[in-house]
Amino acid sequence: MSLGASNPEYVNARVRSRRASLFADEDYRKLIRMGPSEIARFMEETEYEREINALGTRFSGVDLIEYALNRNLAKHFEDLLDWSEGRLYDLVSRYLRKFDVMNLKTIIRGIYTETDPEEVQTDLIRAGELDDRTIDRLLDVDTIEDAVEVVSGTIFYESLSDAHEEYEETGALVPLENALDREFYEHLLEDVSRSPGRTQPQEGPEARYIEFLQAEIDFRNARNALRLARSGADLDPAAYYIEGGVLFDASDLNRLVGDYDALVDHIAENKRYGDRLSGALGRLREADSLIQFEHALDAALLQYADTLSSIYPASVSAVLSYILAKEREVENIRAIARGREVGLSESEIEEELVIL
Amino acid sequence: MIEALDIVLQNGEAMSPEAAENLSVGYAEAAAAIAVGLAALAAGYAERGIGAAAVGAIAEDDDMFVPGLIMTVLPETLVILALVVVFIVG
Repeated sequence: MSLGASNPEYVNARVRSRRASLFADEDYRKLIRMGPSEIARFMEETEYEREINALGTRFSGVDLIEYALNRNLAKHFEDLLDWSEGRLYDLVSRYLRKFDVMNLKTIIRGIYTETDPEEVQTDLIRAGELDDRTIDRLLDVDTIEDAVEVVSGTIFYESLSDAHEEYEETGALVPLENALDREFYEHLLEDVSRSPGRTQPQEGPEARYIEFLQAEIDFRNARNALRLARSGADLDPAAYYIEGGVLFDASDLNRLVGDYDALVDHIAENKRYGDRLSGALGRLREADSLIQFEHALDAALLQYADTLSSIYPASVSAVLSYILAKEREVENIRAIARGREVGLSESEIEEELVIL
Repeated sequence: MIEALDIVLQNGEAMSPEAAENLSVGYAEAAAAIAVGLAALAAGYAERGIGAAAVGAIAEDDDMFVPGLIMTVLPETLVILALVVVFIVG
């Protein structure tokens, strides 16, 4: 927890300006009709110019687009952490830590498969809290044990070293990856809710932000449950359950995974999400693809974050809405580029996009 | 005002009408000074947030310098209005 005054006004002004320079929906329509190299050229004329130029000599086509997107995302999110101070930093960093988790997973997998560190490095999105030096040291080590030692002092150390023992016995990466995820979600709501000695704020921007983080956990649980129910895989749902949400508790999840319709009903009956997601749930009932539902979730979250940022102008809400919008942009461009590469039709690609 | 206070302190008796008038003028001036001071403090507090936002906006886009400057000094009107009090009282 960092101390000192927070500076939402400054961060807000910068974030809103950057939010305004994101791609508009018309740009996506233009991009859908382009091939990968045209997309790269289009991006060169926008704010991705620097990344495209820096990477242009080493990569081409879809790879170039993908790495440029990642680098740009990392740059902007790193900026967010640089600007924020005090309480605001605290709130922003706990969400951006998900990139730390992603990077650590990538690095561990890289070590496991003995991939060249250079290649691993291009896959990283350096947007989280771990500094460049730690990540560079992680790239240098040869064994997972050493990697765990490098992250000592971060929040991930304890659970990673526990999981490492399990990894030594079984030789599977799953315990390590689960440990990272679990640590991330546990810290998401740390100090802000349900901890003794501190009451959860009931109204105001911070309460809404906590609601958003809870929604993140709920949707993660819902996604896992839906996937388990769909695939019929014989896995213990409790092993994937993440605490802190309001939609499920562990016993609900165990009961509902067996019955797909009951699961959808359970989400629809929840008073916090039922109304907002009614459209998406309707589509899910018609046994459409899960992807459609997940995109509807993303769009609903994004719209909600936008509303919040106009209700509470000087708070963490605007930052949150920018983070979501930027992630959406990166994902959309990636989907378009990948879709064009494998030759999907325009309408098929459009289905993959999250457009409001 | 200090004169008026001195008179009260030295005499310790009932004030002459002249001394009472001096005293009231002194109080009025002190009140005006406090009013201006508080207004300036409030303006400063308001400018803190606006200034931070303006610097952020200018960092993203140089064209925002003039609008940012104008927005930042808007709360100064508080102090200017408070100055009117001084002239009314004085």
